[in-house]
Amino acid sequence: MLDNFFNPQTIAVIGASRTSGKVGHDILKNLIQYGYQGAIYPINPEAPEILGLKAYPSILDVPGQIGLAVIAVPPKSVLEVVVQCGNKGIDSAVIITAGFKESGLEGTKLEDELVRKAKESGVRFIGPNCLGIIDSHSRINASFAKGMPEKGNIGFFSQSGALGIAVLDLALSEGIGLSKFVSMGNKADISDEEIMLALSEDDNTKVILGYIEGIRDGKKFVEIASQVSKKKPLIILKSGITSSGIKAASSHTGALAGREISFDAAFKQSGVIRAQTVGELFNYALAFANQPLPQGPNVAIITNSGGPGILAADACDKLGLQLVPLHKDIVDKLRSFLPPYASFYNPVDILGDATAERYEKALYTVVQDDKVNAILVLLTPTAVVDVEGTAKVIANISHIIDKPVLTSFMGKKSVEAGTKILMKYNVPNYSYPEHAVSSLNTMFKYNLWIKKHEEVYPTFNNAREKVRDTFECLNNEKREHLRESEVYEVLDAYGFLQPKSLLARTPEEAVAAAKGIGYPVVMKILSPHVIHKSDIGGVRMNINSKKEVENAFFDITTRVRHVVPNAHINGVMIQEMISGGKEVIIGITKDAQFGHMVMFGLGGIYVEVLKDVSFRIVPLSKDDAHEMIRETKVFPLLRGVRGEAEADIEAIENSLLILSQMALDFPQIIEAEINPLLVKKRGEGVVAIDARFIIGGD
Amino acid sequence: MISLYVGSTSGYSGKSLVSMGIGLKMKRDGFKVGYFKPVGILPIKVENILTDKDAWFIYRVFELKDHLAEVCPVVLTQELTFKSYLKDVKGLIRKIEKSFNQLSQDKDIMVVGGSGSIYSWGALGISGLKVIKRLNLKALIVVKYEGEFGVDYILQAKKDLGNNFIGVIFNKVTHEFRQSIDDYIVPFLKRKGIDVMGILPHDSLVGSITVEELNEMLSGKVLCCHDRLNNLIERFLIGAMQVDRASEYFKMTKNNAVIVGGDRADIQLSAIESGTECLVLTGELYPSELIISRAEQKNIPIIVVRDDTYTIAKKVEKLSTRLRLRDKTKVARGTELVINNVNFSLLYKKLGI
Repeated sequence: MLDNFFNPQTIAVIGASRTSGKVGHDILKNLIQYGYQGAIYPINPEAPEILGLKAYPSILDVPGQIGLAVIAVPPKSVLEVVVQCGNKGIDSAVIITAGFKESGLEGTKLEDELVRKAKESGVRFIGPNCLGIIDSHSRINASFAKGMPEKGNIGFFSQSGALGIAVLDLALSEGIGLSKFVSMGNKADISDEEIMLALSEDDNTKVILGYIEGIRDGKKFVEIASQVSKKKPLIILKSGITSSGIKAASSHTGALAGREISFDAAFKQSGVIRAQTVGELFNYALAFANQPLPQGPNVAIITNSGGPGILAADACDKLGLQLVPLHKDIVDKLRSFLPPYASFYNPVDILGDATAERYEKALYTVVQDDKVNAILVLLTPTAVVDVEGTAKVIANISHIIDKPVLTSFMGKKSVEAGTKILMKYNVPNYSYPEHAVSSLNTMFKYNLWIKKHEEVYPTFNNAREKVRDTFECLNNEKREHLRESEVYEVLDAYGFLQPKSLLARTPEEAVAAAKGIGYPVVMKILSPHVIHKSDIGGVRMNINSKKEVENAFFDITTRVRHVVPNAHINGVMIQEMISGGKEVIIGITKDAQFGHMVMFGLGGIYVEVLKDVSFRIVPLSKDDAHEMIRETKVFPLLRGVRGEAEADIEAIENSLLILSQMALDFPQIIEAEINPLLVKKRGEGVVAIDARFIIGGD
Repeated sequence: MISLYVGSTSGYSGKSLVSMGIGLKMKRDGFKVGYFKPVGILPIKVENILTDKDAWFIYRVFELKDHLAEVCPVVLTQELTFKSYLKDVKGLIRKIEKSFNQLSQDKDIMVVGGSGSIYSWGALGISGLKVIKRLNLKALIVVKYEGEFGVDYILQAKKDLGNNFIGVIFNKVTHEFRQSIDDYIVPFLKRKGIDVMGILPHDSLVGSITVEELNEMLSGKVLCCHDRLNNLIERFLIGAMQVDRASEYFKMTKNNAVIVGGDRADIQLSAIESGTECLVLTGELYPSELIISRAEQKNIPIIVVRDDTYTIAKKVEKLSTRLRLRDKTKVARGTELVINNVNFSLLYKKLGI
C-alpha cells in the first residue's frame, strides 16, 4: 500500500533548484546526500544540471518510468504538473508547495481544483503544504528537513510541519530511530487513515506515532484506528480546542459534550493511545519500540535509594499498577546476597553503595518471580555507583528475558554515559521515575486492548417500528422537540419504565389525578413553551394532600404565566413520586465529526459544575457501556458506600445500550436526555423520571 | 363619590405608575382615596386570598384597609382562563360591580386601574370599556408614546368611550419624541377636542430593574453577591467586542448590566473592573473562580443563564416594556414624575372636583 511513496524505483524532483536555501534545492540535496539508491531526476526548465545530476525541462522529457514525483513548484503551476504526472504514468506525488487551503479562499478553490485534477489523472498525493516524507530504511529523504533520523522502528506522521521538524531534530539528538516520517500537510488527498494503514502494514514499523489537529471523517477514523491499533500501538498527540465556544446548549448533554470529549471517546473506543504532550509521545514511543508488553499489572522496582523508589511506587498506585509482593523464595534469595539493611520487599532497595554486580544479581533474581510482569530499575548517581557497568548489566538481562525492563537513571550529566548505553541496547530510560511508570502503564493498558475479546454489540430490534410514525410526524411538522406524550411513547417503546402520570387542566382534575395515582406525587408544568421546567419553578416534589395539590397547581401555573408571558399551558402533569434509588443522567448527543455519542453521568443539579460524565461513540459495545460507568466518580456511589445496597448497574448499562440503539434507529435525534434516571437496588431496574428529545436535520 | 379609570390603548404603558401618582397626590390634597382593579393578570395569594400583584402593591402604597378580596375581584389564573374559554364562566361583570360598590362606599375618590388595553378581555365580557360603561367611570388614557400612529388609537378610544373619556397622558416620552408631541400631537388633539393632561418624560430609574427581578425573568442562577440583588439596572450592554474596546464601552453607560458569553473571561473581567451592576453570563457556561472572587471583591452579582446571548438580549428587550413598580426608590421617583408633569387643576376640573 502506498508503495511508490516509500519504495519507488526512481524519483523526480519537480521544481528542483540550483539555488541553495530554496526548497527545491534542499529536497534534491537531501535525496542525494542520504543515499537514495534509485535514479533521481531533477526537473527544471532552465537548468541543464543540478547538483551534478542531469536535469530535464519537464517530467515528460524524462526517459523511462518514474515512481514518485516530489513537487515544489509555485502553487499556480502545481495543477499543470499534476496533469503531466498523470500523463507520464506517475501515480504517487508529494506536494510540498504551500499556498492552498491554508492561505484563504483563493487557495481553497485551487486545492479543490487540485484534488479534482489529480483524481482525473490517477495521481495520489501527500500534502500540499507539507514538509515531505522520509524513509530511513529505503534511504529516502524527500523533505527539506535538516538531517536524517537513524534507522528505527517508529513511524511518525504529523499534520504540523513545524512540529515534524522539531520531532525529527529531537529524535536525531536523542538517537531515537524512526522508520518513516510523513508530513501530512493539508491532507487534501491522502488521509491520516491511509497513512495509519500503510504504517500498520510496514514491516519496518513497530510503533505508529501521529500528531493531528483535526480529522475529516470521524467514523472512518474510528474504524481504521481500531484495525490499526489491534496490530500495532498507535500513539496520537491531538492538539485540543480548549474553549467550548459560546454555544446555546439546550440540555446538559449538549453543554457537557465538546470536541475534546468526542476525541477522547473516539480514542478510547479505537484503542488509540493518547499522548497529552510531545514529551509523552516520545516516552511512550520509546517503551513500545524497545520492550515487550507487560502481561499483567504487576511491577517490581529495584532501586539504590529510598526516595525515588517511593515516588515510583506512588505513581504505580495512582495509575492502577500493582507493586506485587515478591515470592518468599525470591525474597530469601535476595536476602542471601544483599546487605542485611537492604529492603528485600518490593520496592527492592539495594542501597546507595550498590555496585553493577549487585544490580545484576538483584535484577536477575526479581525477574524470576512469575508474578512480576514488568521491572523498573531506578538509579541515583551516588558516588560509588558504576553507571556504565550497571547500564550494561541491565541491557544484557533485558535482552534475554521476555518481560519489559524500563529504567530511570536520574540526573543528567553523571548518568549520561549510562543512558547512552541503555538507549543503544534498547532499554528505554527516563529522567524521572513517574515517566517510566506512566509509559509502563500505557503498555499494560495496550496489552489489555489487544487481548480484548471480540466486542459485543447488543441490538434491540423491536422498538423502531413502533415509534417511527412519531418521529416522522415530527419531521413533517418541522418541530424540534418531542411533546411530553411522545416522549412517553418513545421511552415506553424502548422498554423504559416511567412513573405513572396524568395530565390535569384544572385544580379539580389535579386533585382527582393525585388521588388516582396515590400520594405523594410530583407536579410539573406542561407547556410547549417551557423546556426546562425546573429552571422556572415549574416542578414541585413530594406533594402530599389535596390542599398542597391545589396550591401547587396555582403556584406552578402562575409562575409560568409570569416568567414566560403568553406561554401556552396545557396543564399540570401529576406524576407518581418514586423515591429511593440514585439519580444519574444518560443521554445522546451528536458530534459533528463522530456522529452520535451516548453520555453517562451523575444526575441532579450539579452535573454541569462537576462534569463527572463519560461519553462513547455510537454504536456502543457491551464493554463500552461497562467501562463508561466505571470511569466516572459516581461509580463507587452506585456500588454503595458504608453498607448501602448496590444500585442496579447492569440496568444502567442496558439503558446506555438502548440509547445507542435509539440513535441508530433515529439519526435525526440531535440530543436526547433522560434526567434523572432513577437507579434502584440491584435487580430492581431503573425508572426514567424525566426526559427530553431534540430532533433536527437528516 | 368620584371615580377615575386609568386605562390605555396598549399594555405596559404605565397605568400603575399613573394610578399611583394621581392617587397619592389626591391623598395629599386631603381626599379619601380608594383603589380598585377589576381584572388582575398577575395572580398572587396573600394570606390565602387570591389577588393581583400590582393591586396588592398599590393597596399597600395607599395604606388601604379594605377587604383585599374585593380590591381585585377577577384574577386571571390558569384555572379561570381554562374554564372561561372552554366552559363559559358567567357573572364576572356582576362580581366586579359588586366589589366596586362595596369598596366605594366610604371613599371620596376611587382610582380604578385597568389591565392591558381598554379592549382586553372583551372575550370574557370584562373589557375595560365594558367596566367603564357599566360603572359609569371617568376614563383617562395613558399612552406610551412611540410615534404618530398612536394618535389613531386615541381617537378610537375617544369614540368608543364617548362621554366617559376625559383626556390623555403621554408616558415614557424620550426627549427625541417630545418635540413631535409639542409640535404636532398636542395641537392636533386640541382641535379634535381631546385634552392632554400630562406628558411624562422617559426616566431610566423608573425603567430600571433589580438584579433579583432580572434573574427571575431570565430563569438564571445567581453565583455570588446575594446581598446585592437590589442593585438597579438601567441599561444593558452586550460584551461581544474586542477586549481592548470593552472597558471604554462599559464605562460610557452608568448602572449597566453586561450580557456576555460565559467563556469570555477577558470581557467579564473588563466589565467587573469598569464597575457594572451585574454580569449576565450566557450559554450556561460557568466562570472561573478568578472571575467569581474578583466579582465578590467588587460586590458585583453574577447570573448564569442557559440561553445564548441573542436570546437573552431579546428577552431583555421585551422585559423593559413590562416592568413593574416594586422598588421604593422607583415608586418615589415615579410619583414625583406624575405630580410634576400632570395638570392636576385640569384633571380635577374634568372630574368635577
